[in-house]
Amino acid sequence: MAHNARKEDYQRLALRFIHSLDDAGPLAAMKAFASFGQTFAQRRDSLPQTDADRAFNLVAAATEVVDYRLPFATGDGAAELVARGKKLLNEAIALDPNCFDALRMRSSTELTSVSARYAYLAEEETRVREACEAARDEAVAQESDPERAGIAGDLAMRPYLRWVSSMAEEALICGRNRQSAELARRLLTLDASDISDARYTLALALAKLEDEAGLDELEKRYRGFNTARGANDAWMLIARLALAHKRCDLDGARGLLAELLRAYPTGAVALLRQNELPDGEFARIQTDAFSEDELVVALSESVVLLQEGNDRSGRGVLGTWMANETARMRPQAVAEAQALEAQIQAMYGTPQGGEAR
Amino acid sequence: MRFREELILRCAAARREKIGQMSDAAFNELLLTVRESPDAFVERDAEKAFAALGRAVGRFEDSVRDDDLLDDDEYVAERARRFSALAQACDKALAIDPGCLDARLVRALATQEEPDGLLAELRGLEAEVGGAGAAGGAGAVAGGGAGAKPFEELSWANVFDRPRMRLRAAAARACGDGARWKGARDAAESLLAISEKDGDPLGARYTAALAYARLEDEEGLNALDARFSQGNTWSNLARCLLLYKLDRLPAARRALRGYASLCEGAAYALLRPIFVETYLPDRPDYAPGSFEEALCAVHEAEVIIADTPDFVAWCEGQDWFRAEGEAFAQGRDLDW
Repeated sequence: MAHNARKEDYQRLALRFIHSLDDAGPLAAMKAFASFGQTFAQRRDSLPQTDADRAFNLVAAATEVVDYRLPFATGDGAAELVARGKKLLNEAIALDPNCFDALRMRSSTELTSVSARYAYLAEEETRVREACEAARDEAVAQESDPERAGIAGDLAMRPYLRWVSSMAEEALICGRNRQSAELARRLLTLDASDISDARYTLALALAKLEDEAGLDELEKRYRGFNTARGANDAWMLIARLALAHKRCDLDGARGLLAELLRAYPTGAVALLRQNELPDGEFARIQTDAFSEDELVVALSESVVLLQEGNDRSGRGVLGTWMANETARMRPQAVAEAQALEAQIQAMYGTPQGGEAR
Repeated sequence: MRFREELILRCAAARREKIGQMSDAAFNELLLTVRESPDAFVERDAEKAFAALGRAVGRFEDSVRDDDLLDDDEYVAERARRFSALAQACDKALAIDPGCLDARLVRALATQEEPDGLLAELRGLEAEVGGAGAAGGAGAVAGGGAGAKPFEELSWANVFDRPRMRLRAAAARACGDGARWKGARDAAESLLAISEKDGDPLGARYTAALAYARLEDEEGLNALDARFSQGNTWSNLARCLLLYKLDRLPAARRALRGYASLCEGAAYALLRPIFVETYLPDRPDYAPGSFEEALCAVHEAEVIIADTPDFVAWCEGQDWFRAEGEAFAQGRDLDW
């Protein structure tokens, strides 16, 4: 699970299209829907939609630009993507002043400090919830079919889930770990299937609070989440590893690092480099389960754990330990990390993230 | 730490042990005599080593004075030389008495640059002196070995117990430097449990307060504060950090006032932090309410402050606080 703007855009219009077919007979409806995919792809404007739907489509386009293309752009290309993303978001807000995804995404370019961004999100949170709940109630009331009503209600609440997700993530970066944990728990209550992957943020916040019991409890809840995976995703393993390291249980920490390397067999270079990436603006960047990319994203979010402490390198006590241990376990990855570093420096001109030892 | 004062106490206590039973009045008399010329009473190797360590730390502190004249590279090289000289002096003290725990502690502080390495060495020392079941039961260290007193039975009133208490205080701070806040909290609380009755001479409650702040444990900080009638700079700074972290900003603002009111130059210390040298082996005895005390509190909170990225900017955003810092800088001719 994870938020996917393109998919959600499709779902919104599909739902509205089906709704518009209610007056036709079942056979005619089936026929009409058979061509929906093609119409969506080629003649989107001909489909029934509201301004909110159009605005969301612009959000999906902006997501493509700022979350999936901008991280790979340099110089003028990057500036152009930033401008394009902003324009799309402004258009979305002009179409639908309650397009909370666009408002939320735009706020990150307008408010440069994390705490200011957090304050903005917190201030608006009640309004966003009330508006999403009203939209949900309206959508549900319009649907006679209970299954469709469920989906419509679910889609209407998504912007609020993402709003709270952003709050939880920003709180974690601000050093407000208790709040971050509280917000992530609230998300799990709102959406037990955890489409927002709030459990990842929760795992990191609990590790910051050194709350081992809380982490045990979270692990027990994993079964309930709509995921085929166990509690061995990178976030959970890094949280566990951090706690072992904090307890000075270095054997335990080494065991967890080995487990991380088993779960992410190509992850050694990422563990050495520990890059800090910009967070996805729409939602957490989508990656495949147990892919190297997923580990990179998890490590980037884990900098709050990795970079803490008074070590001399400034890399953080756990970050240093993790890089050193990874180099010991996977010595061949060290040269690879260095080569990658040199390549990236040649491309971008500035060092990206921590240097490989 | 006051080496001279403690040397006097040690010499008097050693003399009393030698003589046997002695009334309090007689002991006070003895103390006065020792105070006049402590060196004349340094008899045992333990005190000789302790005195040598005291002199070495004194030399270290004296040599810091001219640092302002050095450029960065010279300073780094000079500091490394100074620490290496101190470590050698510790070795000399240990050659006189291998059981001098303070020399082991200062040596660890002078040579271990990383929090992980330092903590491992301090924990190793604790195990060595910790008595039954601990590693190195042969007991090379004074008061250590299989017959060692359990930590809970140590008392500040017994001058020979103090090195183990200092070791625990240093371990608590090393935990914090290594981002091990429950470890820091537990070590500080265990020390406080035995030293509270003597007024917490090692300031364990300061380390504990910061740990509670970082763990965002408001109840813990409240309970700690309730045990003492007077506030202190660390606790005020911890309170402010805690409330900021809990996003209760009006209350955090009041706590910031409390922090600023207790120490001279507190705002300057937080907004324009000045480097504080490693404690050798424990927090220097600065006057309560002094600027130096504020510098120490900020220094010890450094890891937490860095972990709360916008905290200092928020403090600086309070106009009165910034103005206080600036006024202090002007008054003392400091950079702003």
